[in-house]
Amino acid sequence: MPGDSALVNGRRLEELVREIVAEVLVISVEEARPGAALVRDLGAESIDFMDLVFRLEDALETRIPYTRWQRFLEVRLAGADLSAAITPEVVQLFATEEIERASG
Amino acid sequence: MAERVAITGVGLVTPIGSGYEEFSNALRAGRSGVGRITAFDSAGLDTRIAAEVRNGATDLAQWVEPTKAVKLMSRATLFAVAAAGMARRHARLGRDAVSPRRLGVVVGAGGMGPTDLDLLATQAGAAIDAARENGNDRWDIPAFARIFAQRTNPVATLRGLPNLAAAHVAIQHDAQGPNSTITTACCAGTQAIGEGLRLLQRGDADVVLAGGADAGVNPVAVLGFSLLGTLSRRNGEPDKASRPFDRERDGFVIGEGAGFVVLEREDFARARGAPVLVELAGFGASCDAYRITDERPDAEGAAHAIRLCLEDGVLSPEDIGYVNAHGTGTRMNDITETRAIRQSLGSRADLVPVSSTKSMIGHLLAAAGAVELIAALIAIQEQFLPPTINLEIADDECDLDYVPNAARPATPDAALSTSFGFGGQNACLAIRRW
Repeated sequence: MPGDSALVNGRRLEELVREIVAEVLVISVEEARPGAALVRDLGAESIDFMDLVFRLEDALETRIPYTRWQRFLEVRLAGADLSAAITPEVVQLFATEEIERASG
Repeated sequence: MAERVAITGVGLVTPIGSGYEEFSNALRAGRSGVGRITAFDSAGLDTRIAAEVRNGATDLAQWVEPTKAVKLMSRATLFAVAAAGMARRHARLGRDAVSPRRLGVVVGAGGMGPTDLDLLATQAGAAIDAARENGNDRWDIPAFARIFAQRTNPVATLRGLPNLAAAHVAIQHDAQGPNSTITTACCAGTQAIGEGLRLLQRGDADVVLAGGADAGVNPVAVLGFSLLGTLSRRNGEPDKASRPFDRERDGFVIGEGAGFVVLEREDFARARGAPVLVELAGFGASCDAYRITDERPDAEGAAHAIRLCLEDGVLSPEDIGYVNAHGTGTRMNDITETRAIRQSLGSRADLVPVSSTKSMIGHLLAAAGAVELIAALIAIQEQFLPPTINLEIADDECDLDYVPNAARPATPDAALSTSFGFGGQNACLAIRRW
C-alpha cells in the first residue's frame, strides 16, 4: 500500500503508527501488529480514534482534514467492517501529499 | 418500619493510607497526612501545603480495566474508581452477585474545570501565546481557540466533566441501575451516600456504590480557596496546620482522595450472606438559604440537618456515641458547628465526643463526607474514637469534647457524620451498630 514506504524523519511510517496505536490503546507494539483490527482485535472505542488522530497529527506535524477522519470514524463506529485491518488503514490516512510535505 | 440498609464494604484512597486497614491504623495513631505540596511548584503562594495522596498512578490503575481507560480519567475519577473497587472487594460482592440493572451508583464530585495539571497547562499556554501573537495582552478568544484546538487532545476535555466519575465507576462494575452525581461542594460525599440510601429505600436498586472523590491539590483550587481566605498559611509546620477547634486555627488544609461504601437492602445482604459492617440508619439535608460563604450565625441550618437525620434514623440524641464533625479548622465553621451540635443534641452535647479527622487528612472537599462517614464506621467497628490532632489551645467558643490529640477507646452504638458546603448546603448521616 502507498503508505508503507513513506518515511517520516527517516522512520518508516508504519513503525511510527504502530507505536502510537500502542500508546493510545496501552498495549505493546507487538500487539499493534500490521493487520490488527483496532475495534475487533484491540478493543478500541470512538474516543480512542480521536486520541489516535490527535497523536498522529502531533507526531507527523500535519493535519488530517476533518472530513477525512470523520468519514473514517463513521465507518468504524457503524461497525460496517470490524475485521478490517486498521493499522494499514491509519497509515493510508497519511499516505498523501500532506505527509510528503511534512516529511519533505 | 422501612427495611434497613446495610453498609457491607468500604474503600478509601486518602492522604494517610488506602483501604480499611491502613486508614484505620493511621486514624488510631493520629497521623497527619499534610506536607509541602509536591504536585506543582507552589513557590510564592500564600499556602504551600496540602494533604496529598501518595499512591502512584500504577498502584491506582490496577483498579481499572481495561488499562487504557485511565487516560479518560481525571485524578479524582481515578481515586473514585479505585475506592469503589476496594469497597466492592471488601463487601465480597462478586461479579454475578447482583443483577446489573439493580446496581446503582451515586457519587459526590467536584465541579467542572481544568483541575488536572496537563490540561490546565495547555489552556494557560494557549491563552498566553494567543495574547503574544497579537502583541498585546487582550483575551483574544479566536486566537486562543485556534491554538488550544491544535494542542489539546480531545480525550483531555472529557476529564473535567463532573458526572464522569460516576460513569467510570458504572462501567467498571457494569452498574446499569440509577446513576447520579451530586455537586454540593464540601457536602457532596455525605449527600451522595444519603441519596444512595434513598435509592434503596425506594426500591430502585438492590445495591448502591456510593461515595465521593475529589482532587483539589492543583493550582486552581489552592489559589481559589486561598483568595477566599479559607486556607491555613502555616507553611512552616505542615503537620500542625490543620487544627480544627484549636484557638490558633487559621483555615483548612486542602486534601484529596475518595471514599466509597457498598450499600445494600437488608434482605439482599442477608440472602447473599454479606459481611455487614453497620446500618446506614439516617440521612438529613438542608440549606441555609442565607449567604454563600457565611453560615447562619444561629447555626439553625446545620442544626436542622442534624435533627432531620436523627428523626430519619429514629434516633434520639442519647443514642449517639460519637460525632465525626465537618470541623474544617476555619474560624467560622468550628464555632457555628459547635452551636449546631449543641442545638440539635441538647444536653447530650456535653457528653458526646466530637472529633474532626480533617486534622489528619485535610479537607477532601467533595470526598470529605464519604471518607469521614467511614471514619465514624471505623469508630464503631474498631471501638476507638479517632482524635482531633493539633488541638493544643482551647477556644472559648468551641466547648465540646473534641477527643484531643489521641485516639480514645470507646464503644459507640451509633454515630453521626456532618458536612456543610459553601453555598449553605448541610447534610448529616447516621450509622448504627448492626
